[in-house]
Amino acid sequence: MSESASTSFPQRAARAIKDEFLQQALAIATTRFVNSRNEVFQAFPQGEALRDRARQIKEAVLQRLDHYLEQLTDNVERLGGHVHFATTAEEARGIILSIARENRVELVVKGKSMAAEEIDLNEALEHAGIRVAETDLGEYIIQLAHEKPSHIIAPAIHKTKAQIADVFAKELRHQVAADPEVITRLARGALRDKFLQADMGISGANFAVASTGTVVLVTNEGNGRMVTSLPRVHVALMGVEKVIPSMTDLVVFLQILARSATGQKLSAYTTLVRGPRQAAELDGPQEFHLVLMDNGRVKQLAGPLREALYCLRCGACLNVCPVYRQIGGHAYGDTYPGPIGILMTAMLRGNGAVKDLAHASSLCGACAEVCPVRIDIPRMLIELREHLDREKIAPWPERVIFKTYARLLGRPALYRLAGPVSRLMQRPFVRQGRIRSLPLLFRKWTATRDLPPVAPRTFRERWGELERER
Amino acid sequence: MTARAEFIGRIRRETSKTPGLFPATVAERPADPAAAVERVRRQLAERWPQAIRRFQEEFERLAGVFHVVPRMDQVPAVVGRIARERSVRRVICWSAAALGADLGEGLRQEGLDAVPMPDGIVGEPEARRLRELSAAAEIGVTGADLAIAETGTLALISGRGRPRSTSLLPEYHVAVFDRRVLVETVEQAGVVLEAWHAEPARSMSGGAITFITGPSRTADIELTLTRGVHGPREVHAIFIE
Repeated sequence: MSESASTSFPQRAARAIKDEFLQQALAIATTRFVNSRNEVFQAFPQGEALRDRARQIKEAVLQRLDHYLEQLTDNVERLGGHVHFATTAEEARGIILSIARENRVELVVKGKSMAAEEIDLNEALEHAGIRVAETDLGEYIIQLAHEKPSHIIAPAIHKTKAQIADVFAKELRHQVAADPEVITRLARGALRDKFLQADMGISGANFAVASTGTVVLVTNEGNGRMVTSLPRVHVALMGVEKVIPSMTDLVVFLQILARSATGQKLSAYTTLVRGPRQAAELDGPQEFHLVLMDNGRVKQLAGPLREALYCLRCGACLNVCPVYRQIGGHAYGDTYPGPIGILMTAMLRGNGAVKDLAHASSLCGACAEVCPVRIDIPRMLIELREHLDREKIAPWPERVIFKTYARLLGRPALYRLAGPVSRLMQRPFVRQGRIRSLPLLFRKWTATRDLPPVAPRTFRERWGELERER
Repeated sequence: MTARAEFIGRIRRETSKTPGLFPATVAERPADPAAAVERVRRQLAERWPQAIRRFQEEFERLAGVFHVVPRMDQVPAVVGRIARERSVRRVICWSAAALGADLGEGLRQEGLDAVPMPDGIVGEPEARRLRELSAAAEIGVTGADLAIAETGTLALISGRGRPRSTSLLPEYHVAVFDRRVLVETVEQAGVVLEAWHAEPARSMSGGAITFITGPSRTADIELTLTRGVHGPREVHAIFIE
């Protein structure tokens, strides 16, 4: 967020494209993710029907969201847990801070949570004098490097192992080999101590099952299990849209989530947590808190971004997006990168925050094709662009150009004239069959790409000739 | 903080503004989960040999190590071998009641320092001591309440004599199970979950269920697969025939 305040999206994107390290890291990672995902779905014919089912469940839940949240709340409370309601990010931070204060918490261990990223929770806790340790390896790396995550499920995807080794060397004040195995061992040791000392664990939630009061965490490293097993207080933070009705619904999602995210059949750990430790248990938290967060989601229930509330945060749409693959996550400048991230940013911060980002898509539809719940991201992006135009948020040259273009297309006589007129006008600008630079309003377009010139004969003209020849 | 009534009320107002994007239903739950589990079990009565082969195949693909023994009393020997091969000797295990057999004596005969977890409720100092023991142990021996063939997954319910950390803190996790907990698919596991939650007081004495699919892993550094980040670096499954 801080970055987006000081630079524009085009500046950040341009910088990302010139960053050779980043380009290399992105190419390796996204290609690997896409291949794994495609392979695992090819070997899983029932996957397509499950995706339809999952999409239906998400829509059905939104239609009765109030009912399922009431049920979830009742069940969590029945199990001895506490449920809190946060309309804004500020409220969510306040709730978690006061739980920490009441329990005299000095050290927090955090599992990976996009919701916590969304509300800048770490900064708030640290500001209150509470130490926070990110425990997902990727999150830990970027915390040590004082950066932000660049991918929903692989936060440090933008860094090479040599860069990561340097970060660890600086932190530990001794040489560290650029070997993932060595670095992982070091992180395990450092974080193990923190897990055992921490007073409070904070996690997100991949799902919350209303009929049983269960919070579900899907992880690979086991940090989610640590965070929910070892500290005396566990706080789970989730957006309201994460609730699902039953265990039968849960297994529908579990069968497609890991396949879409990493190409695994199931992630290494799926942890189902019902409230605090029960009387017979030796471990588990003594207190359990669930924070249900709105933060811009609720008004989209009847709004243009409703479908974005289906999102499982698997990251598949990032990996296939031709724009994400070029610029990576940081260029988007906010918590959620990639195609779904543009919609999430609009949801959280308003349309004004995405006036450039709304165009950071070729509308190729690859995102909608891989989305496990078939979210029609291109449709919402087009509608978003329309809103930006109507609300006059889009820059005026853009609005003038598109308005003129629309008039032209709407009048056949004008359109017929456009061919010969453009050919005449483009003459001074065509070099070796391309238009490499245009003046005035059009300069920005040609600053980063060439424009093909209008053909010597347009389709209409050729069609006319063919008709005459018959 | 917003009050519950106000928060839910706002959501109710917003949901009532729209019929939604299309008519949709949630997944249909088994009307009688116990009977549905019975049907699954009956199918498995004949098919279990194929199912356990599939489990082994998937489990080994995840780098899990699969063992078969004819009887429970042969489990300590397998654990002893695992320990010797890795030059470790500190073992924690679920209680005798939770495992369905007292492995403590057998493990000690293998030359291991074995500590079974208590069945009853213990005081704070004893809980702290057991936690330190668990954190220092190299091997954790547990049962499994569900084994899913198509994914090589083991599911463990926490509770009396079955702490969450036994399968989490040690480097090597050894899970012991037999054909009674075997199902073929994740979908069938959903039926079992419904049945457990239909009678939670009877089925679960603890607050957590963990599905374990292979060892702890990460690919956060250049997408290079590395095992044993926070949880166990190796998972062993001992199937009692």
